[in-house]
Amino acid sequence: MASDTTHAAHPTPLLYVKIAVLLAILTGIEVALFYLEDAVGPLVVPFLIILAFLKFVIVIGYYMHLRYEKPFLSRFFSAGFVLAILVYAVVLGTFGVLAIRAAT
Amino acid sequence: MADVAQAVPAGTHGEHESTGIEHRKLGMWVFLSSEFLFFGAFITTYLLFASRPGLARPYPAEVYDIPFTSVSSFVLLMSSLTMVLAHNAIERNDQSGTRTWLLATAMLGSVFIGGQVFEFTAFVTEYGMKLTTSPAASAFFVLTGFHGLHVLVGVLMLFSLYGMSRRMGGLSPKQHMNVELVGLYWHFVDIIWIVIFTVVYLLSKPPL
Repeated sequence: MASDTTHAAHPTPLLYVKIAVLLAILTGIEVALFYLEDAVGPLVVPFLIILAFLKFVIVIGYYMHLRYEKPFLSRFFSAGFVLAILVYAVVLGTFGVLAIRAAT
Repeated sequence: MADVAQAVPAGTHGEHESTGIEHRKLGMWVFLSSEFLFFGAFITTYLLFASRPGLARPYPAEVYDIPFTSVSSFVLLMSSLTMVLAHNAIERNDQSGTRTWLLATAMLGSVFIGGQVFEFTAFVTEYGMKLTTSPAASAFFVLTGFHGLHVLVGVLMLFSLYGMSRRMGGLSPKQHMNVELVGLYWHFVDIIWIVIFTVVYLLSKPPL
């Protein structure tokens, strides 16, 4: 198969630098949101989570080259991430409820 | 597209397995995938205790120095740039460039570790928050300490690659994969810090 004989094209150094600038800007927005929490209100939490997720996906996709790798690798890596999210969501839910019951 | 280089022949990356992915590379992805569960356990433990009332003070969120940690985060993010530039250089067989970027990544990683040591020292000496102060403090130190340990291992691998390249006058095509594997590990340590910085430093609050 043709896909087995070549890797997909990787970005150039210029694109890597552009991505680094974008990551730095996103980090700056995160820190600004932290200090503007009173002005932004409760929306600051979803905003911060979305920004972190964006940075997370950009690093994995471009710097770890996952978007240029075989889909098999993406599915495999995502499976570990999703498994961890599910397992610890259950843990947080269970112990969170137990803590509330103990306090009341 | 101007921003995309030519396709890289698979043969330059060594032997391939039936999956079409070099087996050492697949092994690294398996390891990194399992690390989500490793760090997830510590982040979850921190979240369970970070805002729980009735624990001994100070809570970690009461002593954070956000400007300082923001600079540390920036340093680690930029080390991901230098790491990917090292990988790009070795793919072009630019041995001198590879050494330069590997050394830059190791130096930035060392700066991050130095910042973490400074932060831990300040928490203990200035605020009296020790490993045994409370479950929240324990969770914080264990989580960020294990992350720091991962960075330290990465720095040692980077210096090893740099030393090998210097001693042998460059890395052979067979060793190119080592740069890619260390790069994958390094970027993973970076994405874990992206999560820690947001969840642990920016979002956690002490109880009222």
